[in-house]
Amino acid sequence: MTKRKRVLEPGAEGSAVDAKSRNSMIGRRKIDKRFACRTRSGALLFLLLFMPFLAVMPDFARAKLVIDVNDPSLVRMPIAVGDFISDQPGIVNGAELARILKNDLYLTGLFQLVEIDPALPYAANGGPDFQKMSEMGIQALVSGQVHVQGDQLVLEARLYDVALQKQELGKRFTAGPRQARQIAHRLGDRIMGQLTGIPGCFSTRIAFAGAGNPRELFTMDFDGHDLRQLTNNGSINLSPRWSPDGRSLLFTSYMRGRPETWWLETATGRQALISGRPGLNAAARYAPDGREIALSLNHEGIPKIFIISPQGNILKRLTNGRGNDISPSWSPDRSTIAYVSDQAGTPQIYLIPVTGGQPRRLTFESNYATDPDWSPRGDLLTFTARIEGRFQICAIRTDGTDMRVLTREGSNQAPAWSPDGRMIVFGSNRDGQSRIWIMDARGVVQAPISPVPGKAPAWGPEVR
Amino acid sequence: MGAGSPLTRPVSFALFGRISRIKSPFYPLLCLILLCALSAGCAQKVVKPNPPHPGFSGAHRAGPVAEQELQAVQANLKVIYFDYDQYTLVPDAQAALQYNAQILQQAPHVRIVAEGHCDERGAAEYNLALGERRARSAVNFLASLGIDPQRISTVSYGSELPADPGHNEAAWAQNRRVYLRAVQ
Repeated sequence: MTKRKRVLEPGAEGSAVDAKSRNSMIGRRKIDKRFACRTRSGALLFLLLFMPFLAVMPDFARAKLVIDVNDPSLVRMPIAVGDFISDQPGIVNGAELARILKNDLYLTGLFQLVEIDPALPYAANGGPDFQKMSEMGIQALVSGQVHVQGDQLVLEARLYDVALQKQELGKRFTAGPRQARQIAHRLGDRIMGQLTGIPGCFSTRIAFAGAGNPRELFTMDFDGHDLRQLTNNGSINLSPRWSPDGRSLLFTSYMRGRPETWWLETATGRQALISGRPGLNAAARYAPDGREIALSLNHEGIPKIFIISPQGNILKRLTNGRGNDISPSWSPDRSTIAYVSDQAGTPQIYLIPVTGGQPRRLTFESNYATDPDWSPRGDLLTFTARIEGRFQICAIRTDGTDMRVLTREGSNQAPAWSPDGRMIVFGSNRDGQSRIWIMDARGVVQAPISPVPGKAPAWGPEVR
Repeated sequence: MGAGSPLTRPVSFALFGRISRIKSPFYPLLCLILLCALSAGCAQKVVKPNPPHPGFSGAHRAGPVAEQELQAVQANLKVIYFDYDQYTLVPDAQAALQYNAQILQQAPHVRIVAEGHCDERGAAEYNLALGERRARSAVNFLASLGIDPQRISTVSYGSELPADPGHNEAAWAQNRRVYLRAVQ
């Protein structure tokens, strides 16, 4: 393995390097030297891979409340994305495609987007000007060429290691003329896979409930584009949750005058009633293998967690006691269900084995903890907690340690993980209206994405 | 009914309005009798003026309640309010339910949907459960006062249908409620 120099910039703040930080090149060189002896090939890969874990290392103090919105310890990788060039500039807009990719990378919170002269990636002898970019502290470069071939849009993209002056990824993407955005997202997924070992989730969609009346369901790309209305029943529709194959959703609907659990196939709009028992039929979630559904029913009295078949037959009553039990969330290994119960007087999150047994209380730090969602890696839960009178998105380890508050503005609700476990989607009213926001798993980058008011988001699976 | 409405509606509603201020158990009784007498005249125009034969009398009686009786009962039922994140009945809520029980006893054919609501704060799903519990608290209390629980169904709207769209303490207090809807 060759010894390499890497530029590490601690405490990167903005999404792009501004004039001020460009001028601080001398300072950065010093850092460079300091780290040079310790950084080797693969060190960055290691950092990116384990950053989410480093960010939630337990401090061995039980459920200590940590405000951790701007953790200065994380190093974001400086990356440059050149405008994609095209010899048919009137037909395809390479700059716009590059902008979509830049936004994808920015939203992960793992990158520092460095703005560069458009000529730099294509300067000397048709190759990138690595020397110049290395001096700017850029570690990775993406460049690409787009053209139209027949009725297909073709993107040939490359990812370079700037320090090694080496191409890490070369890939050709084709798509129909209306799928230009998808091309950029697919390239982003591959770049994430190359740099972190886990592909990105930029090609996924998010479902949510509108915030108006009637309250219809919508889906959109993860970055808020391509909004589509799913339901049109003029009623209240809530809590959409995806099937594991991403083809259908469970949701709660009042289309027959009371809260019942329905199933909807996104491609066809076909619907079916899953549970219409007296009282509440709410908050239904598929098991990770799609073979069972957990939901809250109160046809026997108090709302309790039940396991039913995908056809709606009751398989098991999971919880007992005097509390209102709702919002079940399956662990990815489907061994445990997290849910909300107010059996101790205030709503708190509990864990119970799917086989039944004694529930274990997970949250103690707030007098109102709701909306648990189990991370795809299984090590964390995200949830909503009331802190100083307002609702914030938090994350906690499954053993109840290391609770972190990820938001601090406005009122925030109903978090759900991205399928790669690197981002969280949630509802927030911080800019004056209920909208869907996404953030990275540490809450460093937070951005509104829904083009219409909305709440109760659910992040769809990767469909490949 | 078209001719009856302008006369009967203001009269009966005004009477009930006064009762709700006086809070005497006799006034609703009197007014209901008055109302039934008034609405019976109207009801005949809506339903069937003269049953063709005695066999239909019973059917007529067990059939749909006259729209105006429903409206009168509805106008007289009190909304039950709750404290934040609570489904227990405070003394004011119990008093309102006692009053409502008297109304319901006088209108035995009216069925009730108890709609449970929450204010906008908190989790939408948890609020669905909380709204259901509030509705059931109301039903159980009415049952303890002799109202047949079979007459009452529950539906929780959680925080989805606020009565007051505001985002302040006054609006929230109006929205933490159980609304008893009189139905056929």
